[in-house]
Amino acid sequence: MNVRLTNALAATAAVAAAMWFVNFPALGQPAKKGAPAPRAVDGKVDLTGVWIVSGSPNLPGDPDYLPAARKLYNERKASGGKDDPEKACLPNGVVRIEPLPYKIVQTPKLVVMLSEGNTHSFRRFFLDGRPHNLDVEPANWNGSSIGHWEGDTLVVDTLGFNDKTWLDGTGKPHSEALHVVERYRRPDLDHLEIAYTLEDTQAFSKPYAFTRTFTRVTDRDLKEYFCAMDSFVGK
Amino acid sequence: MRMRHVSAVMAAAAAVSLLALSWAPASAQEKAKEGKKVPYPGAVRPTKAPPPGPPGPVPLLPDGKPDFSGLWNSQRELPGDAEPEMLPWAAALTKQRVENYSADDPEARCVPGGVPRATPYHVQMVSTPTLVVILFEGNIHSFRQIFLDRKEHLKITEPLWYGDSIGHWEGDTLVVDTIGLNDKFWFGMSGQPHTTQLHVIERYHRRDFGNLEVEVTILDPGTFTKPWVQHRLATIETDWDMIEYVCNENNQDPTRLVGDKDKH
Repeated sequence: MNVRLTNALAATAAVAAAMWFVNFPALGQPAKKGAPAPRAVDGKVDLTGVWIVSGSPNLPGDPDYLPAARKLYNERKASGGKDDPEKACLPNGVVRIEPLPYKIVQTPKLVVMLSEGNTHSFRRFFLDGRPHNLDVEPANWNGSSIGHWEGDTLVVDTLGFNDKTWLDGTGKPHSEALHVVERYRRPDLDHLEIAYTLEDTQAFSKPYAFTRTFTRVTDRDLKEYFCAMDSFVGK
Repeated sequence: MRMRHVSAVMAAAAAVSLLALSWAPASAQEKAKEGKKVPYPGAVRPTKAPPPGPPGPVPLLPDGKPDFSGLWNSQRELPGDAEPEMLPWAAALTKQRVENYSADDPEARCVPGGVPRATPYHVQMVSTPTLVVILFEGNIHSFRQIFLDRKEHLKITEPLWYGDSIGHWEGDTLVVDTIGLNDKFWFGMSGQPHTTQLHVIERYHRRDFGNLEVEVTILDPGTFTKPWVQHRLATIETDWDMIEYVCNENNQDPTRLVGDKDKH
């Protein structure tokens, strides 16, 4: 190829690249430049804060369901949420979230996530090198979560689920083979991003990935909400 | 980290569930079958201290304050505390609850245990310079937050199950002040009631690596004629972890806690 054509192609490519970043500023850098994310004492990005999801908490699209899981999903959709575990004050699990605040409290060896809604409970991500606690609890509602830092991204790996939670309010099922990897980033002071990758060899034909963005809640801390309290009568 | 065998967990869980539900050792079961009353141990006072935790220095936070982070056994009351002195209405209600085998204990209905109730399960504490979080394995697997960066309580518009807890350091002791509590929870299976005037002061002192002393002062002029002080000890776990506990899953307490049928 002659030099002039090569230069022209290179110039075109450069302009195209520049236009790409202008038109899609979210890629590679935050759309709106806010104050930088704070750092913890160990130098890691500090995820500590009260966060609420932007947009719908439902999963975009559906995982590629295997036939048995697809059938179960269709049954749940048709039943109009009849057996929704959330209605029975049972845990959401780690994929389904509420449109209510979550609080992250970060320490070097343990990160805790507190939930205002659902069962007003907590998740723990162990960063101390321990393995998943599967010999004592092979299958529970929230699984067993361990994490490690990759630069400024906290990678949380969760295994050990039962099959009783719904992945979102539409009734998306999963099996006990569910494996969830979450990648937490705080691109700036006021935003948290969690990139999820779900694998489930007994329910999905391939991994399913999506990302949620959360904004920081600045005017309040978590409120009290307890599922059973509305029906409780004291004596 | 080594984790104990599943059977040990099951044994522990079974032992604990006996405490929580109708306690009936063999001779008592025989008595019950004969129609005789079984004495209810829910109001039994502690006669000896729990075994102490391991020795060692107290870990510190970056700001030099004691770090309470860790997996702790439940707070257990030490022997020697005085019984609470109650107004007549409260003494009568307490007696009624104990005679009814604590059957109406709200804790069995999956509502929060409130403050300062300890459950016979573990807690995980997490300390930062501005916050102490207590994660409860038992009751409803929920949490308390103790805010160290506030000197004033929130304005309470509606009484809460865990209230509003703020803490400050007095030397190496964390003094936690809690108000804004509702009157719906019990202090324990012993069933003492309270009003929304309840004010709880907890003094947390990590004596050494394995031992966390907690002095609890319960103040409520609507219920008690003088402050009710308890001395408790929590010990650290080094080879264990909490497991999940989902109160609303298969909760059989409400139908099984029938109390004393003769008094219904």
